[in-house]
Amino acid sequence: MTAAQILLAALLAPLLSAVLIACFLRRRGTLASYLSVAAAAGICVFSYLAIKANEAEPIRAAIEWLSFGNFTVSMGFLFDGVAATMLAMVAFVGLLIHVFSLGYMADDKAKGRFFGGLSIFMFSMLGIILADNLIMIFVFWELVGFSSYMLIGHYLDTDDAAAASKKAFIVNRIGDLGFLIGIVYAYWHFGTTNIEAMGAAVNADPSLISWVIAALLMCGFIGKSAQFPLHVWLPDAMAGPTPVSALIHAATMVAAGVYFLIRIAFLFPESVLGGIAILGTSVAVYAGFCAYGQNDIKKILAYSTLSQLGYMSAAFGLGFAGIALFHLITHAFFKALLFLGAGSIIHGCHHEQDIFKMGGILKKMPITSITFFIGVLALCGVYGFAGFYSKDAILVAGGLNSTAIFALLTLGAFLTAGYMGRLVWIVFFGEPKSDAASHAHESGFSMVLPLIILAVLSVVGGWIEVWPEATGEIIRENLEHLHHAEGHDAMHSKVMILGSTAWIVGLLGSFFFYGVGKNGDALQNRAKSVYEFLKARLWFDEIYGFYVAKIQQRVAVLLSFLDVFLIKGLFVRGSAGLVGLVGACSRSLHVGNIHGYVYWFLAGIILLWALATGVVL
Amino acid sequence: MTVGLNAFLIVAGLLFAVGLLGVTLRQNTLVIYMSLELMLNAVNLAFVAFSRYNGTMDGNLFVFFIITVAAAEVALGLAIIVALFRRRQSVMVDQLNALSH
Repeated sequence: MTAAQILLAALLAPLLSAVLIACFLRRRGTLASYLSVAAAAGICVFSYLAIKANEAEPIRAAIEWLSFGNFTVSMGFLFDGVAATMLAMVAFVGLLIHVFSLGYMADDKAKGRFFGGLSIFMFSMLGIILADNLIMIFVFWELVGFSSYMLIGHYLDTDDAAAASKKAFIVNRIGDLGFLIGIVYAYWHFGTTNIEAMGAAVNADPSLISWVIAALLMCGFIGKSAQFPLHVWLPDAMAGPTPVSALIHAATMVAAGVYFLIRIAFLFPESVLGGIAILGTSVAVYAGFCAYGQNDIKKILAYSTLSQLGYMSAAFGLGFAGIALFHLITHAFFKALLFLGAGSIIHGCHHEQDIFKMGGILKKMPITSITFFIGVLALCGVYGFAGFYSKDAILVAGGLNSTAIFALLTLGAFLTAGYMGRLVWIVFFGEPKSDAASHAHESGFSMVLPLIILAVLSVVGGWIEVWPEATGEIIRENLEHLHHAEGHDAMHSKVMILGSTAWIVGLLGSFFFYGVGKNGDALQNRAKSVYEFLKARLWFDEIYGFYVAKIQQRVAVLLSFLDVFLIKGLFVRGSAGLVGLVGACSRSLHVGNIHGYVYWFLAGIILLWALATGVVL
Repeated sequence: MTVGLNAFLIVAGLLFAVGLLGVTLRQNTLVIYMSLELMLNAVNLAFVAFSRYNGTMDGNLFVFFIITVAAAEVALGLAIIVALFRRRQSVMVDQLNALSH
C-alpha cells in the first residue's frame, strides 16, 4: 500500500464501523462496542504505518469531488509533520478512550448509539487532521460538531443533556458562520483554498496576507476551541458521558481549533496574532477563576480545559505555533487522563459528581487515585512531568514578548495549581461523605489500563527527545528558536522559579485553605460574596440568556408577523386566491350543455371572421 | 332550360340554414347529427355549382374529400351515439350534461 492508501484506510475504518453500527447493530450494544474499539485500533495501526512511511516530503493526494464551471472542490490529504504529530496523538488517545468506554458504558442501554457516535467522531476528526483544503476542513469540522452534539446528548432523557447538546451546536454555528465567510473570502482572495497553495502564494507575496481573512477564520477556532466569547458551551457539554468529555471536550475536538490555526499559521498577520494572544491569556485566567466556583468534578476539569486552551492560543498568538502544538499534545495526554480518572471515580461512586459528596477515594480506588495525581502534577507543571515542558516554553515565550501576558499566564499557573489542589484534597482524602462514596470500588481492568498508559504518557509525553522521528518537527524547531532567543536563559530560570513556586503555593495553599476532606467549600463559608461572584462566571450565561429571550425573541416575533401576514397572507394566499378566481370564471363558461358549446363555437367563428376581415381592430 | 348559379347558391344557403337551425335548436343528438350532415352537403352543393360555373375541377375535388371525411365521421359518430344510448338509455341533449360543473 502506498502511504496515501494507508491514510485512506485509517480514515475509512471508523466510518465503516459507524455505518455498520447504524445499520445493523443499534440493538446489539456489546457487538457494536467491540466493532468501534476494533476500528479505533485499526486507526492506530494505520496511523503507525503512515507515520513510519512518512518521508521527508509530505504526503499529498487529492481527488476532485465537485466541479461547478471553473470552480472545483477537491478532497485530499496533506500529511506533513504537524498532521503526523496530531494523528499519532488522536489515534492513540482515541483508542485508549474507546477501551475505557468499554468499561464505563458497560451497563448503558444505548451502547450502540454511543459507540457509533464515537466512531463517526473519529472519522470526522481524522478528516480535519488530514484535510488539505479549507472546504474539506469545514465539511469535517461540521461533522465533528454533529458528533459532539450527538454524544453530549447521549443521556437524552435528561433535560440537562438535551439543552447542553443544543447549546453546543448553536454556539458553534455562530463561530462557523465567520469561518464559512472566511473560506469564501479566502477563495476570492487567493483563487484557491488549498493550504499549501495559499502558503506558496503568501510566501511569494507577503502583501497578500489579509487580517480580515485571518480574523474570519479565527471565528471558527473561537467556536470550536471554546474561546471567549463563545466559551459558554464547553462547561455545559459535561452533561455528556465522561469518556466523551475526555475524548471530544478535552483531548481532541476542542484542540482541533488550535490545530486548525497551526495549519494556516502563515495567513496570520501580527495584529491578529496579538489579538489571539490577548484572547488566550484572558481566557486562561478567567477560566482559572471560574473553576473555584464549581463543585462538579467534571466542570472543574472543563474550566481547566478552557484555561489550557487559552495557554495554547496564547502560545500561537506569540508566534510559536509549534509550542502551541506541544502543549496541545501534552495537554491531551494529561487531560484525557484526568477526565478518565474522573470518569472512573464517578463510575465507582455510582454517578455522583459533586466533589463535596466524595472523599476518601484514595483508599477505595488506589490505582485511579495515583494516576489522577500524576495527571494533576502534569497539569500543574511540576518539573519532569509532561505539562512542565510545554507550559514552561509558553511562559518563556510570553516573558520574552510581553510582561503583561507573562504576568497573567503565571497567575494562571497559580490558579491551576490552586483549583486542582482543592479538587484533590476534597475528593481523595478524609472520610467518604455520602453513601455512594463509601461504597466506591476500584474500576475494572478495561478502565484502569488506559489510566495507567495515559499516566505514563503524562510523564514521558513532554520529553520531546523520545518522540518518534517523524513527529514533532515543528515543535523542535520552535523550541530551538526559543532557546536561542535573546535573554532566554535568564527568562528560563525565572520561569523555573515562578512555575515551581506556582504549583507549590497552589497545592499547599489549597491544602491549608480548603482543608483535607472537608464537607463544605471554605471559600463559600468564609467569603460568600467572592464565592458567589466566581460561581456566576461573569454572568455570561445570563447575558446571553437575556439577549436570546428578550432581544432575539422580539426580532423573531416581528419576523414571524411578517411571515404570517405578508408572505403567507398576501403572497401565498393572495396568489392562490387570484388563480382560484380565474378558475372560477372560466369554469362558469362550461355549462355542460351541448347547445351552450355550439353558441360559443358560433361566437368564436364570428370573432375570427371579424378579426380576419378587419371589422374590429 | 338552364338553371343559374344563384339558384344553386340559394338552395345551398337554405339547406345550410336548415342544418344550422337543426343543430342549435333540436334536442335529439341523432337529429343534430343529421343536421350537421345537411350543412356539409349544403357546402358540397355550393362547391359543385361553383365548379360547374368556373369550368374547373377544383370544387369537385373538394367534394370527394368532404364526402370521404363525412363518411368516416358518420361511422364514428353513430358508433358513439349507439354506445351513449346503451349506457344512458337516452340521446336527448338536455340529459347529457355530465360535463357541467
